[in-house]
Amino acid sequence: MFVLAGIIVALAVASYFLAFRRAGHWGETQGLKHLPRFHGNFVVTWVLLASLIGWAVATASFIWVRKKPESLDPALIDMLLADQPFYSLALSLIFASFAFLTVWFSTKAGTAVRRWLETTQRRVMLVAAMVAVLTTVGIIASLVFEAYRFFELIPIQDFLFCTQWSPQTAIRSDQVAAAGSFCVAPLLVGTLLISFIALLVAVPLGLYSAIYLSEYASPRIRTWTKPLLEILAGIPTVVYGVFAALIVAPYLRDSGAYFGVSVSSESALAAGLVMGVMIIPFVSSLSDDAIQAVPLSLREGSLGLGSTKSETIKRVVIPAALPGIVGGVLLAASRAIGETMIVVMAAGLTANMTVNPLEAVTTFTVQIVVLLVGDQEFDSAKTLAAFALGIFLFIVTLVLNYFALKIVREFKEQYE
Amino acid sequence: MTLSQEALKRRAKRRTAETRFRSYGIIALGIAGAMLLTLFFTVFTTGISAFWRHEALIEFQLTEKRMKIDPTASYSDADYEKLARSAPYNLIVKDAMYALFPDVKKRKHKKHLGKMISYGAEIALRNAVLKGKAHVGDNFKLWVPVSDDLDTFLKGYIDASLPEKKRRVKDNEIEWVHKLQDNKLIRSSFDWGFFTRADSREPEMAGMGGAIKGSFYLLLVTFLLSVPIGVMAAIYLEEFARQNKFTDFIEININNLAAVPSIIFGLLGLAMFLNFLGFPRSAPLVGGMVLSLMTLPTVIIASRNAIAAVPPTLREAAIGLGASPMQTVLHHVLPVALPGILTGTILGLARALGETAPLIMIGMVAFIASVPDSIVDPSSALPVQIFLWVDSPERAFVAKSNAAIMVMLGFLLVMNGTAAYLRHRAEER
Amino acid sequence: MTSVKFSVNQLTVYYAIKMGMQNVSMDINDRQITALIGASGCGKSTFLRCLNRMNDLIHVAKVSRCTWDEANKAFVPTADATGAVLMDGDDIYAPTVDAVELRQKVGMVFQKPNPFPKSIYDNVAYGPRIHGLAGTQDELDQIVEESLTKAGLWTEVNDRLKQPGTSLSGGQQQRLCIARAIAAGPEVVLMDEPCSALDPIATGIIEELMGELKKDYTIVIVTHSMSQARRVSDRTSFFHLGELVEMNDTEQLFDNPENDQTKGFISGRFG
Repeated sequence: MFVLAGIIVALAVASYFLAFRRAGHWGETQGLKHLPRFHGNFVVTWVLLASLIGWAVATASFIWVRKKPESLDPALIDMLLADQPFYSLALSLIFASFAFLTVWFSTKAGTAVRRWLETTQRRVMLVAAMVAVLTTVGIIASLVFEAYRFFELIPIQDFLFCTQWSPQTAIRSDQVAAAGSFCVAPLLVGTLLISFIALLVAVPLGLYSAIYLSEYASPRIRTWTKPLLEILAGIPTVVYGVFAALIVAPYLRDSGAYFGVSVSSESALAAGLVMGVMIIPFVSSLSDDAIQAVPLSLREGSLGLGSTKSETIKRVVIPAALPGIVGGVLLAASRAIGETMIVVMAAGLTANMTVNPLEAVTTFTVQIVVLLVGDQEFDSAKTLAAFALGIFLFIVTLVLNYFALKIVREFKEQYE
Repeated sequence: MTLSQEALKRRAKRRTAETRFRSYGIIALGIAGAMLLTLFFTVFTTGISAFWRHEALIEFQLTEKRMKIDPTASYSDADYEKLARSAPYNLIVKDAMYALFPDVKKRKHKKHLGKMISYGAEIALRNAVLKGKAHVGDNFKLWVPVSDDLDTFLKGYIDASLPEKKRRVKDNEIEWVHKLQDNKLIRSSFDWGFFTRADSREPEMAGMGGAIKGSFYLLLVTFLLSVPIGVMAAIYLEEFARQNKFTDFIEININNLAAVPSIIFGLLGLAMFLNFLGFPRSAPLVGGMVLSLMTLPTVIIASRNAIAAVPPTLREAAIGLGASPMQTVLHHVLPVALPGILTGTILGLARALGETAPLIMIGMVAFIASVPDSIVDPSSALPVQIFLWVDSPERAFVAKSNAAIMVMLGFLLVMNGTAAYLRHRAEER
Repeated sequence: MTSVKFSVNQLTVYYAIKMGMQNVSMDINDRQITALIGASGCGKSTFLRCLNRMNDLIHVAKVSRCTWDEANKAFVPTADATGAVLMDGDDIYAPTVDAVELRQKVGMVFQKPNPFPKSIYDNVAYGPRIHGLAGTQDELDQIVEESLTKAGLWTEVNDRLKQPGTSLSGGQQQRLCIARAIAAGPEVVLMDEPCSALDPIATGIIEELMGELKKDYTIVIVTHSMSQARRVSDRTSFFHLGELVEMNDTEQLFDNPENDQTKGFISGRFG
């Protein structure tokens, strides 16, 4: 395998020097588009591209081979599957050699090779820009495809309109409830409950921080406190999860016990509080931008009428900056709904249909993790359900983001 | 100017309102700061002890009978190695403990005695024999790790005043360990192996070497995929693409991808890379591919900003000399934009390092007791390791997970610091 | 006897729908300095940038040849610029011409000195490198030295070629840009207000330099300063509102302008 990879690299290097030398012999009489360097780069670009394409073709073919088609000899299938990297690289090498020969015989003295090279490079860059589009297509395709298989097993109305979520029972096919316990309502309630708590924490804290930083704080205080919010944004969510599970949840339970209130050891409140801290930076940074975008003349108008600074902020600046702030809150909400680790570690796994923040609830993301962790048959309703939940999550966050960005953009255009 | 009583009252009221409003901001920032401090403080206090572990100095008797190796016979190297590898070191460790406390006779108590020492002792002993440091027939003294319960007790996390049934370390064990301490046979040493060992079911033997290497491979794959693709995409969009519906569409896509929850990328990896393309489960290769798709928007957006900030006079100068647009970009624009691109890339990679959910989706959450040797080996990763350890019932694992958090935050600090430094230097120019 | 380097016919440029320059026809002589004068926005820079097809890079700019539309009594642009600019008799807007190769032959110096953020040596060597003008390191060194000498900079920088080009003074930077332009081996050097960012002494040095350079190169210079045009150029053309008003030998144009607008402009009454 390494030998093959080595040969491909060697071919690329050799082709560069061969083309370079040959073009050198063609002499200096030609114009600048025929510089030897361009010939070398052109052939090496195509050799590498072709080996990539060869590898992609091989990988695609193996998808087919792995299904063990009857038209193929079983022995051949076994042989191919035994060493996939080797055969993939072999195909790469064939493609690369073909590319080398094609380029070698199609370029002559006088070929406008620089233009060809640059067109190739530009096309490769276009393909790179298309990766983002392909990713979106890939996400939608995989979600829709697997969710479709799920809805073949579980009717969509059973998924949407009922109250019970207990996917575990579906494994035991002898049970009565074998197929009828996938229902999003408890998850939706749990997700919304936790996100609501998180926003309850993040919106006031984030907004007041932003107001203070942009309106009151001296530049020195600003340079020292802004990193605080950046650090909050930079801490990995799994760390927040540890914090919620080990510190906040036990603390809430203990203080609940002290006051005679029963707080579940995995409560919506603990997860929501910590998530709220996590999304403070989303609210504050966009609010900060929005507040700073409000023109000075508006402020001066209000101050000139004898308003105090806080009155100006409350009556003039905040209303003017409101669209930007709302955009920030929507983005924060979308983060909260899509956040996984905090809720997995602190919110609980059981699906309670409740709005009591002191009880354990579960969310979309938690259930996706629960459904997919461990070794499962990929065809079971349990596994496929995760993708149905994924679609839900994808659409909700996409819509929230779309509106958030739209509001922010329109707000910015208004003051430009 | 004289003010009426009413007006004075109103003015005082407005002034207090002003101060109150201002203090809200300070309180908000204070709460955020306090949360952050609490988080760091608890992580530090819980995790710091996990970098040390207690070891006991035990004398092992590598008798012929136990080792089942005849010192006089001449074995081939391979045979000797096989015998030395399979010797019952667990019994040798137990023998050593019984010999240390000859008074202990009861079966139940002997069982407790045997549990005091970690199975790491067996491994250390075997390595010593295999490396030729200890020989059959020797009485061999070695510092070996104690069990995790004992270690936790020695670190002071188990309250000896609790009733015996409620704690994992029994009275007789406490008595024995005090005896060992009196004889200076117990020491606490910095556990360097914690950074190199793989995960284990036994807390005292679990290390994050596998997770660190796994995370390294993940970031390597992410870097190698997202940077070339991201920079090329940015160059195309910024320098070559004309403003039309199609490029608008690409841009909208990039912006939306930046906001898609990370777990969705995990679902993509599971459905596309694992099930459809048949890539290996739990491997850093697939994890890196998923993370690079996630990081791509960050790299593209940062690179575009950096490229757009390059002064147009530079482009004109190159074009005016007869450089082609492509040469202009590669020779002049890209080098100038590089610090900005690097800054964005490092920030993207820092986010990728802490990302957990997508890795869980592609099976990197499995228990893996070996350090990966390549990007296709099953592997763990730092954030996933933290998640796994926190979920374990043993207290020692919780400490380890906090220690791992400290290490991960350390890496993040270095990465973000580098990015900040690069940005600062670029701004100075 | 002077020969014609550029022959421009009915050249027109539109920026989207805004007219940048219309129906300009003129001849530019070989190894002479031609100055383009006029008020800001009169189209003189636009014209200059047509000579090395720099306008190709502005997406909204459309260069074309115009024709007289009898019905509307106006000039209308045609679909493309074929035949609008001939260089040594060859159409530089022909579809077969590579603009990149053209720009090697027609170098350019800009309003603000814009050296690359590289060493002095690399700045000058860049053109020869991308065009493969030097086979060996010695040849490259020679080209760099010659170009810097021609630009009158060699004695000032020969001991610090490795220092960044941006470390020089403004006037030196502009001469470095001239050296960089001539190192690429051009036949024509276009200068777009090369002295507008410089002090009078540096301006004087560059003007002197232009006198030297015209022995080897055709120079077209856009300038704000009428006195500069008068000092350095052989021929001068006056642009107004996107059209060429008058072109003549410099002395003739300044001493005895035929057009009233020209007269007004050079006497400082407007512009």
